[in-house]
Amino acid sequence: MDAPDYFQFFGLEARLSIDLPDLENRFYRLSRQLHPDRHAQAAPSERERSLEASAILNDAYRTLRDPVARAEYLLKQQGFEQSKQAPAELLDEVFDLNLALEELRGGDVSVRSRLEAARERFLALLQETDAGLEGLFGAYDRSPAPAALGEIRAALNRRKYISNLVQQVESELNP
Amino acid sequence: MAYSEKVLDHFANPRNVGSLDRGDQRVGTGMVGAPECGDVMKLQIQVNEETGVIEDAKFKTFGCGSAIASSSLATEWVKGKTVDEALEIRNVDIVNELSLPPVKIHCSVLAEDAIKAAIEDYRKKRSH
Ligand code: FES
Repeated sequence: MDAPDYFQFFGLEARLSIDLPDLENRFYRLSRQLHPDRHAQAAPSERERSLEASAILNDAYRTLRDPVARAEYLLKQQGFEQSKQAPAELLDEVFDLNLALEELRGGDVSVRSRLEAARERFLALLQETDAGLEGLFGAYDRSPAPAALGEIRAALNRRKYISNLVQQVESELNP
Repeated sequence: MAYSEKVLDHFANPRNVGSLDRGDQRVGTGMVGAPECGDVMKLQIQVNEETGVIEDAKFKTFGCGSAIASSSLATEWVKGKTVDEALEIRNVDIVNELSLPPVKIHCSVLAEDAIKAAIEDYRKKRSH
């Protein structure tokens, strides 16, 4: 069975901002409908179908519940693949961070404060990007245009990069 | 995943690791990254302004073994070439030389992009 459109699966319109409590209600309702116990008496083929549908339901819920995963999903549907270009303005930061991490591993503890400063900077960048994304999501929902998706694509690339950075610093500071 | 012997060799004995002076007119710096894995690569060339020949090249890569090997190989290859010749280097050449598996092709793309970016940076500097 081909994976159906996740939005349709939940009976929703394809939107980037969605009402989470509503999504949750729909999820529980569908879970109950598809629950194997309700199909215990059914023919094997039908049981199998309900099992498959439950698996899709879980994937769909996981995807739509998270704003970033949701946007990634919609972008992919619309043919916006993840770009192979890293955000150029961040590369120097990334490079310096890696250099600092290497020095820290080499035993130079004085770089700790540099890393802490870097973490603050990246977290601030992440917040900034998220705020920007929220605005872009709203704009797209009001008038869904491909150009808006291009901007979202770029912002998501940036976000991915920054969150990788945060993770790297975190795991180094608190191993 | 098993790395080929050539990759391991470049990984264990990377050639031309280091950096050149960014402020130098003869130096071009290429900084590139791969969003999928977060890896970054810096590749620098130093060009003879009379002949256009790349006289020195350095790299520093934070990434997987294939990315390190690709950039190490790239610095070896660009040295002694003119800027125009260096632009001809394709990532498939690197893939073949290092026997990179399909999942590691993007690492070689990074090296090709880094060469191009370094040359572009060098040319931009000169046009000022
Ligand atoms: S896995 Fe990222 S460059 Fe190789």
